[in-house]
Amino acid sequence: MTDARVVVVTGASGGVGRGIALACGEAGWTVWIAARRADAGRAVAAEVDARGGAGRFVPCEVGDADSVAGAMADVVGVSGRLDGVVHNATSGLSPVPGHLADLPIADLRDHVAVSVRGTYLLATQALPHLEATTGALVVLTSEAGFEGKAKLPAYAAVKAAQRGLVRALAREWGPRGVRVNALAPLASTPAMVTAMERDPSMAGRVMGHLPLGRLGDAETDIGPVTRFLLGDDSRYVTGVTIMADGGSCPIS
Amino acid sequence: MSVLLLGTEAPEVAVLVEALDADVLPLPTQFAEGGATDWPWADELERWRAAASDGPVVDAVVVAAWVRSPAGPVPLDGVGLDAWVARGELPLARWFAALGAAVRRCADGGAVVAVVERPAPLDCAGWAPETGVADAVEAMVRSLARSEGGRGVRVNAVTTPVRLVDGPVVDPQPPLSSFPGTVEVEVAGAIRMLLGDDAAGVTGTVLDAGCGRS
Repeated sequence: MTDARVVVVTGASGGVGRGIALACGEAGWTVWIAARRADAGRAVAAEVDARGGAGRFVPCEVGDADSVAGAMADVVGVSGRLDGVVHNATSGLSPVPGHLADLPIADLRDHVAVSVRGTYLLATQALPHLEATTGALVVLTSEAGFEGKAKLPAYAAVKAAQRGLVRALAREWGPRGVRVNALAPLASTPAMVTAMERDPSMAGRVMGHLPLGRLGDAETDIGPVTRFLLGDDSRYVTGVTIMADGGSCPIS
Repeated sequence: MSVLLLGTEAPEVAVLVEALDADVLPLPTQFAEGGATDWPWADELERWRAAASDGPVVDAVVVAAWVRSPAGPVPLDGVGLDAWVARGELPLARWFAALGAAVRRCADGGAVVAVVERPAPLDCAGWAPETGVADAVEAMVRSLARSEGGRGVRVNAVTTPVRLVDGPVVDPQPPLSSFPGTVEVEVAGAIRMLLGDDAAGVTGTVLDAGCGRS
């Protein structure tokens, strides 16, 4: 890969995805904001420009095959190459609490469509382009996928499923020169703020087992680790889940 | 110990039923036609979960939501969307419904064991959907261990590659020559241990019955 990388970040119109996009912009990369919200996505693209990169927006519904195929075609059609894909988008239901035995199957479908089917669609659509550049796929998972969550069982399940996909894809795509890794971040995001508002005890639980004593910053704590997984410094790293969570998860 | 097994019609599940001398509650496997990506079977799974949850409680529940027969190893870029849904999304949703019903049918102080098919990490190429489902089930088990621990219910998982081995495995060879094991011996034995009093302090764990492969 050259330094003029072209990467796609899903769900980058806010939160962790925005932070990743800005961190990649600081490296001078072309960053495609793949999201549903055009206004917010274009605003982040402008922020990428301001960081020294080249920000672009492409509409993308990650659970929809035609939408993902169209987005990939647009990216490669305009930029001429694709070096990395970061699947960060999650269901809007992610912070909604519920018990596994009661949670509507329709809600699970939404989680699966965005996180798991989204990984499948992005991976399979991007593979030919990533193979051409010996690029990388990075999937944003969560400590919930290791530990489980009593009140967020669907979120935990799909985040774990993503790790399984990463493990298998790393073995399948390694011989083709494409690396596949996962990143489990813990950062202050609008979604986390919402979750803490809905569950006031959550803040105490989160901060109580956080050795570094603070929530991560999406741009300065999570973004650089993602950039590492996309770049040459990680060229011998595949099939792993890196925790960027302040030491929060004791399982890894 | 009286065991209730929530299982599919897979032949290997029948072997497990016999090995555990379990009563069976069948999981739904035949669904209405429709666009697979829209989950036309979601309502049916919902109804099944409600009905299955509304029965007498027992001390030991085993869940084996196995597909009838594994599709065989295929690299993910060779798996079409319909096949993806059939191998990944439908099984994941069925596990979700089944485990929800399982904890509803488990008495206070009882135990639930999920028996999951998972290839060893070295052997998971071609099995991406199944690997994803297995990891999802592991997280479901840990979520339920957390939510049900307060009433003394233990929730654990046993993993096995017994039907997911296709030809010679990647070197190094598994430590035990019995690899990949059998449902009636290695898998059933691990389940009995986790259901029994010897595992009274064990919850939220995954016991791999893969003959040392993992």
